[in-house]
Amino acid sequence: MTSRVLLISLSALAGCVALALGVGGCGKKSRMIQNKGSDTMINLAQALAEEYRKAAPTVAISVSGGGTGVGIAALQNGTVDIANASREMKAAEKASTKKNTGKDPIEHKIAYDALAVYTHKNNPLAKITKSQLACIYGEQGTCRTWSDVGVEVPGCSGQEIVRASRQNNSGTYAYFREWVLGEGKDFKLGSRDMQGSKDVVDLVANTPCAIGYSGIGYKTDEVKVVCLAVGDTDPCVEPSIAAALSGAYPLSRPLFMITLGEPTGEIAGYLAWVRSDVGQAIVERTGYAPLPPDQRHK
Amino acid sequence: MGVFATSPESRRRHRSQQVAFAVLLAMTVLLVLPVLAILGMLVWRGAPALSLEFLFTAPVRGMTAGGIWPAIVGTMWLVGVSLAISAPIGVLAAVYLNEYARDSWVTRVIHLAIVNLAGVPSIVHALFGVGAFVLFFRFGTSILSASLTLAIMTLPVIIASTKEALAAVPMTFREACWNVGASRWQTIWHVVLPNSIAGILTGIILQVSRAAGETAPILFTGAAVFVPFLPQSVNDQCMALSMHLFTISTQVQSVPQSITYGTALVLVLLVVLVNGVSIVIRSRIRRRRKW
Repeated sequence: MTSRVLLISLSALAGCVALALGVGGCGKKSRMIQNKGSDTMINLAQALAEEYRKAAPTVAISVSGGGTGVGIAALQNGTVDIANASREMKAAEKASTKKNTGKDPIEHKIAYDALAVYTHKNNPLAKITKSQLACIYGEQGTCRTWSDVGVEVPGCSGQEIVRASRQNNSGTYAYFREWVLGEGKDFKLGSRDMQGSKDVVDLVANTPCAIGYSGIGYKTDEVKVVCLAVGDTDPCVEPSIAAALSGAYPLSRPLFMITLGEPTGEIAGYLAWVRSDVGQAIVERTGYAPLPPDQRHK
Repeated sequence: MGVFATSPESRRRHRSQQVAFAVLLAMTVLLVLPVLAILGMLVWRGAPALSLEFLFTAPVRGMTAGGIWPAIVGTMWLVGVSLAISAPIGVLAAVYLNEYARDSWVTRVIHLAIVNLAGVPSIVHALFGVGAFVLFFRFGTSILSASLTLAIMTLPVIIASTKEALAAVPMTFREACWNVGASRWQTIWHVVLPNSIAGILTGIILQVSRAAGETAPILFTGAAVFVPFLPQSVNDQCMALSMHLFTISTQVQSVPQSITYGTALVLVLLVVLVNGVSIVIRSRIRRRRKW
């Protein structure tokens, strides 16, 4: 009796599997638009997907993170519809995408992000230059303590700088490293490599000795944003949406949604909406710099 | 002074025995304390967030408000589909291994493989899932890929627990059955399975809670950070409770703590509920057992 119940339920389960495999095996594509990549853009992508449901209730969009590298890798394998990237694709990545999928990746600029340098809110450091950042983060950098950059941080015992950084498949990491050190140079070991932009800001907020970098959208009241200068004698610029748009702030970069070939159908509709005034209002609300009016989708 | 009067020596032994008892008791309490602390913390911080609205609506305002319904549904999909794959295969494989297979080097290798597979870390299963199901079989990041990965992860444990349940049925039962002329399958069907079903079900149900709690195997194979829709088929991506908990605690800013703890509480309650069901099933069936 009981074993009959067992057998029936097992065969019912097996039937479900056969069905599932049949459906999956036919290679039927999900009707969901899969959107994956940059952790910097995850909250932006999430907000966009959430709002788009009101604009187009029948289009399902799924958002996942992992980092720009993860998104671009998925694009190369053809397992994602839209990859989020906080940097441009490298030539090699474009080539391998073309080779694997037969389609050219198309980068759609959807916003700008200003990368801010954060310190603990008690840190008196008012201004930081590119060479100071290189001295702190770079492989050849000699700045080990806060006195090396000319300040004394209250509450930081030993004055030793705690460097918050990002894991190496992060677009933010790649962009910041290249801007600070130039092509092909490395950060010195011993930084605290965090999984997400929020983690960096949280670490800096809780660690008086810390310095870190993340998108300006992640600023909280617990951290201080440091005014940034390129040359040692240049005036410094506070990161802001306006400064990112005008180009006055040096550490600003475009954010992309990348598709395989020219987008069509629902994907095209979504990207057009993201680049429209409605989508760009959400970009601004999430803390990123929206596209200037002439770059928007009309 | 009788022969049985306590000598100083035996009093000393008695004392050290009591000390040993106290130490062992302390160890046991130490074991339970973290569990109670975690549960207490979750209930205390998370219970205020629990409401029908929290359970049955989608997250809104950048996942800082609203509920966790898509994550609950997603977890059910993942667990359901993975179990639909691993339970039939696992039970049938165990029946073969325990009832039919002779002790040869082939079966010994199979045993070894099962034991080792059970010890493989879940992140390794995850990478296997990406390579095999997402990329090679071209199932993409979908519920199907994630469930297959979970199924592979839970399969060895289901085989092992089913085998154990089958082996617990006394050999004399089978011999009695054979001696009245029953075939092997008749013996299995009418004697072995009815007497071991409690153990088999317990093993399967315990894997439900494992599949529901794992994050790594579904991270790259099918779970998404945010899907404002409920999945319609196994080709869709879905949200999952464990993944949602990870996301709102590491990626999203200014999520009220009650939501984070509430999500954790729901996940734990789900697991406790499933384990509770397995305990009830086992005790009910065991009461009917005749040996």
